[in-house]
Amino acid sequence: MQLELRGITKRFGALTANDRISLKVEPGQIHSLLGENGAGKSTLMNVLFGLLHPDEGEILINGEVVKFHDSGEAVRRGIGMVHQHFMLVPVFTVAENVVLGFEPTKSLNRVNYKKATEDIRNLSRQFKLEVDPNAVIENLPVGLQQRVEILKALSHDAELLILDEPTAVLTPQEIDALMAIMRSLADAGKSILFITHKLKEVKAIADVITVIRLGQVVGSAEPSASETELASLMVGRQVQLVVEKSAFNPGEDVLEIRDLVVLDDRGLLAVDHVSLEVKAGEVLALAGVQGNGQTELVEALVGMRHVESGTIHLNGKDITNLTPRRALDAGIGHIPEDRQRDGLVLSMSVADNLVLNTPRAAPFAKRGTRNLGAVSTNAEQRVKEFDIRTTSIRSPAGSLSGGNQQKVIVARELSRDPEFLVASQPTRGLDVGSIEYVHNQIIEFRNRGKGSLIVSSELDEVYALGDRIAVMYEGRISGIVNPSISRESIGLLMAGTSMEAAGV
Amino acid sequence: MSNDVVITTDAIEPTEIKPSLWTRYSSANPLMVAALALVLGLVFGAIVIATTTPVVLDAWRGMFDHWNGIPHAVFVTWNNVSAAYRDIFTGSIVDPQTFWHSLTTGKGWTASLTPLSETLTYATPLIIVSIGVGISFQTGLFNIGANGQAVVGGIGGALVGSMIKMPTFIHLPLALVGGIVGGMVCGAVPGVLKAYTGAHEVIVTLMFNYVTYAFLLYMVLSTPFQQPGQSNDISRTIYPTAVLSPLFGSSSGLRVSFGILVAVAVVIFAWWLLDRSSLGFDFRVTGANPLAARASGINAKMVVIVVFLISGGLAGLAGYVQVASTTHYIDGGFLIGDAGIGFTAITIALLGRNRPMGTVWAAILFAALGVGGRNMQALTSIPLDLATVIQSAIVLFVATPVLVKEIFRLKKAPTSLLTLSTTGWGS
Amino acid sequence: MGIVSTLLTPNEELTLKVPIARNRRTPVIGAIIVAIGLFSLFVFGLGTHAGSHSQLTFDPLNTTNAPWHAGTLTFDAHWTNISLGIVMILIGVEVLWRRPRRFVMGRFGIVSLLFLFTLLVWASRGPGPSPINFINVTSLLVGASATVMVLVFGSLSGIMCERAGVVNIAIEGQLIAGAFLGSVIASTTNNFFYAAVGGAAAGAAIGWVLAFFSLRYQTDQIIVGIVLVTMLSGLSSYLNLQVLTPYPNFNIGNTAPNLPIPLLYKIPIIGPVMFNQSGFWYAMIVLIFVVSFALFKTQYGLHVRAVGEHPRAAATVGIHVIRVRYINVVLGGAIAGLGGVAFMATQGQFQVGYTSGLGYIALAAMIFGKWRPSGSLVASIIFGLTVYLSYELVTYQVPVSLYVLQMIPYLITIAVVAGLIGRVRPPAADGQPYVPG
Repeated sequence: MQLELRGITKRFGALTANDRISLKVEPGQIHSLLGENGAGKSTLMNVLFGLLHPDEGEILINGEVVKFHDSGEAVRRGIGMVHQHFMLVPVFTVAENVVLGFEPTKSLNRVNYKKATEDIRNLSRQFKLEVDPNAVIENLPVGLQQRVEILKALSHDAELLILDEPTAVLTPQEIDALMAIMRSLADAGKSILFITHKLKEVKAIADVITVIRLGQVVGSAEPSASETELASLMVGRQVQLVVEKSAFNPGEDVLEIRDLVVLDDRGLLAVDHVSLEVKAGEVLALAGVQGNGQTELVEALVGMRHVESGTIHLNGKDITNLTPRRALDAGIGHIPEDRQRDGLVLSMSVADNLVLNTPRAAPFAKRGTRNLGAVSTNAEQRVKEFDIRTTSIRSPAGSLSGGNQQKVIVARELSRDPEFLVASQPTRGLDVGSIEYVHNQIIEFRNRGKGSLIVSSELDEVYALGDRIAVMYEGRISGIVNPSISRESIGLLMAGTSMEAAGV
Repeated sequence: MSNDVVITTDAIEPTEIKPSLWTRYSSANPLMVAALALVLGLVFGAIVIATTTPVVLDAWRGMFDHWNGIPHAVFVTWNNVSAAYRDIFTGSIVDPQTFWHSLTTGKGWTASLTPLSETLTYATPLIIVSIGVGISFQTGLFNIGANGQAVVGGIGGALVGSMIKMPTFIHLPLALVGGIVGGMVCGAVPGVLKAYTGAHEVIVTLMFNYVTYAFLLYMVLSTPFQQPGQSNDISRTIYPTAVLSPLFGSSSGLRVSFGILVAVAVVIFAWWLLDRSSLGFDFRVTGANPLAARASGINAKMVVIVVFLISGGLAGLAGYVQVASTTHYIDGGFLIGDAGIGFTAITIALLGRNRPMGTVWAAILFAALGVGGRNMQALTSIPLDLATVIQSAIVLFVATPVLVKEIFRLKKAPTSLLTLSTTGWGS
Repeated sequence: MGIVSTLLTPNEELTLKVPIARNRRTPVIGAIIVAIGLFSLFVFGLGTHAGSHSQLTFDPLNTTNAPWHAGTLTFDAHWTNISLGIVMILIGVEVLWRRPRRFVMGRFGIVSLLFLFTLLVWASRGPGPSPINFINVTSLLVGASATVMVLVFGSLSGIMCERAGVVNIAIEGQLIAGAFLGSVIASTTNNFFYAAVGGAAAGAAIGWVLAFFSLRYQTDQIIVGIVLVTMLSGLSSYLNLQVLTPYPNFNIGNTAPNLPIPLLYKIPIIGPVMFNQSGFWYAMIVLIFVVSFALFKTQYGLHVRAVGEHPRAAATVGIHVIRVRYINVVLGGAIAGLGGVAFMATQGQFQVGYTSGLGYIALAAMIFGKWRPSGSLVASIIFGLTVYLSYELVTYQVPVSLYVLQMIPYLITIAVVAGLIGRVRPPAADGQPYVPG
């Protein structure tokens, strides 16, 4: 299928998310749409998939102008989408999810599950995407869930497959598998639109690369272009891909975790007898595919999740099962995984957010009454010091860009001068400029001789920050290695292979 | 770094409030929307009157019987609707005729000030209870059991006021505390259950309302609380030392009482609590983002329980203020039914956007509707319950500012008036 | 293609995870069960004189319809209640001790029924070998069936709405509206079918208003619901004074005629309760099956549940989330409206405030029943019996204040909600507004 976008423009109020974007995807081609977070990729895909309606411009399929009122129409025209956040109903079975919206029916409007299961089996066989049609989605690992998403798209006879940041949740090996699937689909004549901000993957698979920045197409590139070229095209300036770090100079153990056992929300074992130590002046990067217990481990560290057994010591002091308040007071700084969910109150002012976890500390309050003057002074200082771009310290935090929101959190946590920093996915969804800034702040913290634990599922970040790298798989530490190790070996550890088998 | 202009579009929902507009209009717009919602509520009330009043319906039924049938029907409709609203106004604010009479002759001030005094008398407990409800709303907790809490508060205060004898300076404060404690006990139940089992406060507080009504009937029908020598559902009368006496002396004939000073104190307390105190900061953070509240060290269980204690305590205080400034006893019909102050408080807090001063104005408005409604019922026989209908219509419109703006074709961007949104069952 | 399958690591195989932690709410339920058991043991058991007897009769009051005779049961009230109380405590201790993962609510249901039984035994006991009070179980069940019916309609309404992701807390208002309009229509036309249609339409209209505000304008669903209930109880009270009082012909107070099902109605106990009821009862039974079938077997139901669990996923496959929600909220409203008419048809006249919170109890029954019609039916039976008994036992001269008894159903509702939330999983998008895009 040939797809063409002509001058697609989409505005949200004053913001133009897509500005006259044009591109063309040919049959059998893997067309990569490269752009950093916030460049407008997802908006464009939602427009293409009929979830949003463009303000201007048109979509052409095989030379014919089409208009989608909803995504059902897009699906019927042969467009399939694998969403970044899977569009699967967790409590439904694979079969129910795949046929949803296109169910085979019997009399009385009943769903013909027998036929549905049969169809899925055939499709699985045809495309070599094995999955049990009767399994319930929430019990499946993420890699398999993604396979269901692809099956779902294929079951609707998709000729054009859009993959929106599909590798974010996968191990390097799973990524290779996905690339192979993409290639074989393209060879079978399907068109593929591959959206990502990861340069390596683009170079590995794309036939054609279109780069967008700030909602505009800024050019196209050959897959042979160097990473630096692609990066500067994507960001619009020269980018330093490596963070400058001073020599690793470890001190005493700051944080000691012994035999930690933590359960997740559903009562399943999430952290399985984990032992770790982090030294002063060290960044320990915790790598791993999301959902392997990192979130629960961090929550246990900061007092937000009950520790079933095991101990956590900070500077020799037992901080196991403290309340979040006491964990903060004990000297743990925390940059949460989801800043809008756990880190900020979007409707409250920047100034209030800067004292969110220290509202009672001097000088911000005295005998239960807040000192709003001190809160404002503090905010003015932090805004200057951390280069937070906001119209006013009284603006709600929700009005800031993602990068500046993260700066608010970083400013708050680091200005408390914690003993230890726990940061989860500290740069997720940020633009390159903000990523550099946050990385530099973390390294500066390390250079002051403090310890930190950085959880990240981005291997680039793990390599950029970590003095040592711990890899987590299914709640266990599958290995602790030096950053000199190859990506392939880390990938094997992320997939649960033992240290010996991974050749470490 | 030149990337500060980048806004993560992926994270922005199309309907998200534009902050610049929010800050620019948040001071002006809500007032306008509230005013327009009032207009819409009154229009809705007018439609209800026009479509249910027998005289009006008769007039329309006969519209083809006579050459001027239709004009006559319109005239009758207008007459009834305007009479109803005129009676509401004169019964709650001022009757121009008697007021003019007082102005010119200098006599009859009692009569011309009575409507306003009555409105304030009814507004006083409403202000107190609504501020309590508003505090719970700001914390994201939907306390809709204020009526039951007010009932138990009324009982608690009346027990202290009627069972022991003491000098005023100690008796009255003690009775007020009795009211607060009664409300707190009642508020503690949903608070503790919410904090420790996650039971949704909406169901628990609603159910607790019914429990308190049964409790009320039990109390007023059993010794020693029942009025001695009575077999009816009526309590002992509180001693004069526990009464909130009229502000202008009992000879003035105006009922507005010292309770209004209690209300003023509550307003100041609420302002301090929400705007200036660390505790109130915890409340607001919890209300706006409970997960961030937890991550930043706020003890969610404590907040839930304390908010319910404060909210319930204020409701209980309101219950006793109601008793001590009006009837001085409690009967089986005390605050029963949906006209109870605790239910009106929900709508008032929503209309007042949970802010203390907004709540004061909303409470006075709703008290006026209630008091005026009584006058209307007496003069035109249109039932008082119309006030409830109008009030709920107003709140429905206030809760949906976009609709108001669409109806009046306002151009400004939609801003949400409600800081409150409730959570599903699974919290 | 071969490369794909070789790249599969063994870890990707489907691994079914089993929770290793036990539910934290389970002890709460265990504690509640123990408390109920202790109450039965001490108040109903030890509080009864030794040697006092109870008698339960099972024949309907009107024996002409009961050619088959069902006997009476007489037994020792003191020891019956003591032993049942101990059984209940043991069940509670077992729950506390073993923290079972399955059938916890089933145990709670059994204990609730045992509790009601001990209550009955206690209420009907006499001082000596011969009981003073005769409790007629059959007529009690027939009486309670009216309450059960309202709760079933109410919880079915809740299920319809919440499975699609909309919290319908306006059920109480829909019951009121249905009862009001039903009474007016039944009084003027003397036809309960028209009344049912009218009442259902009134409920549907209110459902539409709820949908309009919460779907089109994303106003908080619980706020809209509460305000609607306030408005409707105000409106019903207003109209009662304005219309029904001056024109009593609009509110005569007919009750719907019973339509006995040949032969079946003669079965002892079951017959009078199940097969000698008004058309509303049979409609309720049919509706339970219809809603179950529609939600869990049909394409429509799959769409509804998808919308209630993950609306965005539903939207990406072309399901109109808003439309599905509109349809379900309106249908749910109609069911609740029908429930209002059914209530009116058993009670007679419309009275202000006589639904006394049944709409909210129906929501609790829905939660108890895990958002399934069958579960809600069981819950409605337990709740309905409790509500009915708490009002009915007054006639049996029990030496406890009527008002204390009347608290019981509400307290049990609270206990259930406290014990259940977090145990049972509501539809994931329940109460969440859906913003397209």
